[in-house]
Amino acid sequence: MVNKAVITDLIKNFDVSFNILRADINPKGGKMLIEINGSEAEKGIEYIEKAGIDVSPVKRVVKKDKDLCIDCGACVSICPVKAIVIEDDWTVDVNDTECVGCKLCTYSCPTKAIKVVE
Amino acid sequence: MKTIEEINQRIKDGDAVVVTAAEMTQIVKENGADKAADEIDVVTTGTFGAMCSSGAFLNFGHTDPPIKMTKTYLNGVEAYSGIAAVDSYIGATQPSRIPEIGIDYGGAHVIEDLIRGKDIELIASSYGTDCYPLTDLKTHVNIENLNEAIMVNPRNCYQNYAAAINTTDEIIYTYMGTLLPNMGNVSFSSAGVLSPLLNDPYFQTIGMGTKIFMCGAEGYVIGEGTQHNTEVQRKNGVPVNGAGTLMLKGDMKQMDPKYVRGATMPKYGSTLYVGLGIPIPIINSDIAQKTAISDEDIVCQIMDYGTPKRSKPVVMESNYKQLRSGSVEINGVEIETSPLSSYKKALEIALELKSWINKGDFLLSNPVKLLKSEGCSPRPLEIRRQTVLVNEIKSKPLITANPNDDIRDVAKKMVQNSINHLPVVDADQKLLGIVTSWDIANAVAKGKTMLKDVMTKKVVIAREDEPVDVIARRIDKHEISGLPIISKNNRVMGMITAEDISRLMCARNLKDGV
Repeated sequence: MVNKAVITDLIKNFDVSFNILRADINPKGGKMLIEINGSEAEKGIEYIEKAGIDVSPVKRVVKKDKDLCIDCGACVSICPVKAIVIEDDWTVDVNDTECVGCKLCTYSCPTKAIKVVE
Repeated sequence: MKTIEEINQRIKDGDAVVVTAAEMTQIVKENGADKAADEIDVVTTGTFGAMCSSGAFLNFGHTDPPIKMTKTYLNGVEAYSGIAAVDSYIGATQPSRIPEIGIDYGGAHVIEDLIRGKDIELIASSYGTDCYPLTDLKTHVNIENLNEAIMVNPRNCYQNYAAAINTTDEIIYTYMGTLLPNMGNVSFSSAGVLSPLLNDPYFQTIGMGTKIFMCGAEGYVIGEGTQHNTEVQRKNGVPVNGAGTLMLKGDMKQMDPKYVRGATMPKYGSTLYVGLGIPIPIINSDIAQKTAISDEDIVCQIMDYGTPKRSKPVVMESNYKQLRSGSVEINGVEIETSPLSSYKKALEIALELKSWINKGDFLLSNPVKLLKSEGCSPRPLEIRRQTVLVNEIKSKPLITANPNDDIRDVAKKMVQNSINHLPVVDADQKLLGIVTSWDIANAVAKGKTMLKDVMTKKVVIAREDEPVDVIARRIDKHEISGLPIISKNNRVMGMITAEDISRLMCARNLKDGV
């Protein structure tokens, strides 16, 4: 439990930009899912850790279920960052490092074969 | 010239030369059609695409006491049972009767689960007769204990199919998949070079009785499919859009779940991915030449699915080489393309069929009657009740506001005219925004005084020549209650509201005696 305006101080004192993706705060504490960018992002994270906030990096994993996928390719052209490609052997491949987690593919997949796990 | 009998003898002797349609393209290119016709006996094709017009006849067997089933549900999906006592037909696109499940589990999924050997819950009811006294039952069936499970697909294996694009400024969900706004992507379906009916474009070898690969089992062509169309424009000898179709039959008990799949097109419905392969006997050099068609030679029209009309405008013509490259160029912009059918599976099927023939397990059949190659073009269904267009609806006189109006004046105007929506326009009657009574209440609550600070700037509109039914769907989709009517030269002509539409429906029903 931290009784300080940590996020405000973070923006004021460090060159960071961030997005609050999810927040669940109640009188007893809470959790926030934030994306931090900027030249001092690492320093900023260090700062909020020192301020008493537990920071755990989120791993976003986009996964294709090989049993469910029929390698149709319906997901390929809707991916905004070209993270899904058709390989030379016509297999549809999902690239975990490129993925930004928009989930348009998971929603559009006819066989529900793609999952984004955070 | 070769006969099917001669080819079959070569298959039995282990001497037949079988290649896939993709390999044939290369062979004819290198050696010419005459030499290829001498050397090659069979060309195998393949496709694995979403084929909505699919389903299966199931016979459950008689119970004791017997029941004459009039309603049947398989895992919650209704099957048509107005056929005798214990037969039913489960269609691929029938959604679950449970609203929370709906299109996520439909007839196509039941078919896949049956082929996978899973137990399926059967609920049946009846009115009861002297000879069939039982009125309801609940039990489980599976592929083993069904007497017959026969897949009969009224329209499969389209000979080419238009690719889809969306020119509107919002994302749409169609049977061609998710289409991004402002021509954000192109979705295409045909297997191109491997597609069965593009390799026999005039149906010189395929007809009723042609034995085929159907979902990993032997199946048969039982005739032209519904909407079989022989009159589509052709380029390089093949239709540029959806044309010929097949009606097919196969035994589900022999099928392999690897080659069939229940799927759901988001916000559209369930559909069945059907794996099909048709062997083309190379009986002469003409057929050899036809099976040599390449992806580049198969033209495909890209149509605008943003137009919810029967005849969709063609945005451009492409071909499968271009479509499969991953992008096409439209008006100088690279637009990403992606297939809806699996080329990987299509190739797998063509190769599997090739190996069946090579092993002597699969002989070719002589069709009893070839498919019609001329004189077929499906007619549209005309609706008796005239479609009402937006400009035909009686609406209230047009009242508008200006962006610099005071909120209090706008409120007065709305009360005086008893309206809930007010389009905001500039001096030329061009639309700038819209304001509703809710926006006014909101403005008062927040202490705002200028209309331009509270109006909604992104407005969903109606065009004068659009059918009212399309507007009703739009109102529902955007959860709004009224839309400004905009003319061709972008002037505000009036408002159409949910009330106008309900009034129209009431009048209609009164007239029809509903």
